Amino acid sequence: MTPVLSVRNVSKSFGGLKAVDNVSFDVHQGEILGLIGPNGSGKSTLFNCVLGQLPSSTGTVLVDGKEVAGKRPCDLNKLGVGRTFQMLQVFPEMTVLDNIILAGQEHKGTMLSRLFGKPDAGLTEEALRMIDFFRLGHQTHEKAGSLSYGQQKLLDAAMAFMAGPKLVMLDEPAGGVNLTMLGDLKERLKAFNRERGATFVVIEHNMEFVMSLCTRIIVLANGRIIAEGDPETVRNDPTVIEAYLGG
Amino acid sequence: MSKRTLATLVAGLAILILLPFTQSNYGVFVLCSWLVYSISAMGLNLTLGYAGQVSLAQASFMGIGAYTTALMTMAGVPWPAAMIAAMVLCFVIGLLLGYPALRVQHHFLAFITLAFNALVVLVLRNEEWLTGGTYGIVGIPRPELFGLQTQKPLAFYFFVLALFVLMAVALYAIIRSPWGRAFKALRENPIRANSLGVDIRKTTLLAFAIGSSYGGLAGSLLAQLTQFIDPHSFGLTISLKVLLMVIVGGAGFFFGPILGALLIVLAPEFLRFTEGYYLMIYAVLVIVLMIFCPTGLLGLVERARTALKLRQNPNATTWEAGR
Repeated sequence: MTPVLSVRNVSKSFGGLKAVDNVSFDVHQGEILGLIGPNGSGKSTLFNCVLGQLPSSTGTVLVDGKEVAGKRPCDLNKLGVGRTFQMLQVFPEMTVLDNIILAGQEHKGTMLSRLFGKPDAGLTEEALRMIDFFRLGHQTHEKAGSLSYGQQKLLDAAMAFMAGPKLVMLDEPAGGVNLTMLGDLKERLKAFNRERGATFVVIEHNMEFVMSLCTRIIVLANGRIIAEGDPETVRNDPTVIEAYLGG
Repeated sequence: MSKRTLATLVAGLAILILLPFTQSNYGVFVLCSWLVYSISAMGLNLTLGYAGQVSLAQASFMGIGAYTTALMTMAGVPWPAAMIAAMVLCFVIGLLLGYPALRVQHHFLAFITLAFNALVVLVLRNEEWLTGGTYGIVGIPRPELFGLQTQKPLAFYFFVLALFVLMAVALYAIIRSPWGRAFKALRENPIRANSLGVDIRKTTLLAFAIGSSYGGLAGSLLAQLTQFIDPHSFGLTISLKVLLMVIVGGAGFFFGPILGALLIVLAPEFLRFTEGYYLMIYAVLVIVLMIFCPTGLLGLVERARTALKLRQNPNATTWEAGR
């Protein structure tokens, strides 16, 4: 089967610094892949190369077997790649409902048909289901900016899922989220993966969160993959321990 | 739309229909100016208030619209064709002016649009063979509708009112549509919007183009209203005036620019008794408003309404309070 995401020999240099050094991996349908590594190991740069925010110096990225180099983020999204950001990224002055509808509307019809079609692009029902799924039902008509930080993180994730993407890339979804909300988030992500066969790639610093969420983990250090495997293997790998503790 | 909103709108429209009958010719002229500037400010509100793209060039589009209409109708082209041509031309030029906005934002964009406005005024002033230079163009005909002349102030007022209502309804439809949502998303977080499939390039360009075409129509009507145009009527001060209308009324509120235009057009009339002090008083009022209410008058109304509801029911969510 064609992998959902295939990263082939991707490198990215900033001047003399090799932030990502010849990284290759595949992500298959239904997987939750964790991407971990100490600060400065190249995780975010790799993410940005895959998502078209940064051009990679060399290498190719395939989504569903199709080369996506040079595609703008909006085109990549239309190909079925959703994402969340490390920093909070919601539309604070819009309601939760409008945030979610926006996340789906660009996948409905053409630009012209959207102008003359229904104001909600026929998405209200689906949006309400998504809002309930992420347990934000009582906040539907609140401005997104008035939600708590954790709730905004949930909304951010819900937006990434709204268009029914094949692949969702989550950049530190657990950052700054309290323990209760963290449990909620993990459980919702797992439910989404189970029920809809969604595929995730997750960057995260919270080890407990990654170990209990992901089915496979890749460890980066100095821009290179130093270990790969299921959570248990990675946890006991001496090179990983060395990279984190600076041996 | 709630029943109460609908009733308010119907009442408002009734007032707009009846009001001119109580006014002198000059009063009707002032009302016409208000509606014309409202159309222009509505357009800028789309570009700036909803889509978040700063523009200091709205008057230049009014100028392009005014000169296009004047030159075409005086050359014998039927007025509907001339007015549509004015809007289409402004749409296309607005699209082009949108390109810098893809690279720069905020005050840099303000400077680029400001330079564009200056450029348009220079062209209007220097290309005398076409525009009549500083003398402008005199004797622009008013439209004739099904054999009815709009030469009389009252008739022309209703012509302007009809177009004002049409343009307001069109804008409302745009803002309520997914396009409106995309414009707001562009204003609030372009990077996130892009990652959710919003084509930032097209959305930005459209925000400029649609807003500019509203400016074009306003200019077109202004030419017919005053029947005389010169480059001075479309200078940077007028762009700033339209910007002030949007900001004072409340950028990003549908009725903001209409209220703003009302205040800015009427203020000189009410402050006439102060004679020479008019501009000083006016400036102080604007400064005070901007300090205490940067979201404009409608922003102030919204804040007061929310506070009042919260006092009555402290447990209400902000949504319930805002209703």
